[in-house]
Amino acid sequence: MHLFLLIGLVAFSILAILLRDLLKAAISLAVASIFLSVIFFRLNAPYAGVFEISVVAGLITVLFVATIALTRSEGDVRESKLPMILFPFFFVAFISIIINILIVRHLIQIPTVSIPPVSGSFGEILWRQRTFDIIGQIGVIFAGVFSVLALFRSRGRNG
Amino acid sequence: MDSFWVLNIWFVAILMFIGIYCLLTMRNLIKLFIGIEVIAKGITLALIATGFAKNNIMIAQSLAITFIVVEVSVVATALAIIINIYRHTGSLDIRKLTKLKG
Repeated sequence: MHLFLLIGLVAFSILAILLRDLLKAAISLAVASIFLSVIFFRLNAPYAGVFEISVVAGLITVLFVATIALTRSEGDVRESKLPMILFPFFFVAFISIIINILIVRHLIQIPTVSIPPVSGSFGEILWRQRTFDIIGQIGVIFAGVFSVLALFRSRGRNG
Repeated sequence: MDSFWVLNIWFVAILMFIGIYCLLTMRNLIKLFIGIEVIAKGITLALIATGFAKNNIMIAQSLAITFIVVEVSVVATALAIIINIYRHTGSLDIRKLTKLKG
């Protein structure tokens, strides 16, 4: 079951980059996000799954669709067909290399660091054990908001 | 490391490959950004899978949520920049941006 979910995630990601219609590509990306959030729920991470399905599959898809609607220029960019034809060959080559590196177990001798499992509920870890990086996160959110405001305001001033 | 973690990391590597291939070959700005989103999905999956393997899923979840918030901020900024580029150049083609050369 987990393997099928991972294969679905990869398949819809491939569709998202290979489809010529941008709207279909954005919707494929949303479907890939839904697969990823189901994987999170199965890995016992419900909060991350909820964030993934609401923010990434919802909000980011809406932002993509709004941008595609505002630009309306699917036809003017001519993608060359060569990358799409060559993609399966590169893909198979990459998978075979990865099989050689990762599946053959003796090649990866990653040292396992034994960290004791952290006790406590999710809320305690999210709000009490993280202190300084919350300030950074708030800074990132404000940076996003102010950059969007600045970009659209400068466009209005120029006419 | 257990084989379940290796399976997940294997698919993370595939997602990274798909995103980087998109970044290297496509010309549409929105398509390039979809490639960045695919890479971001791989990173989130790596975080959660590693937390699951290490029995530290709570910290992994809080890191993943932080990453998703940062990702949304980046998406909003980048799409605003893309709309502005479209209004300046009338196209989404990345080759038209060579006009910026001095």
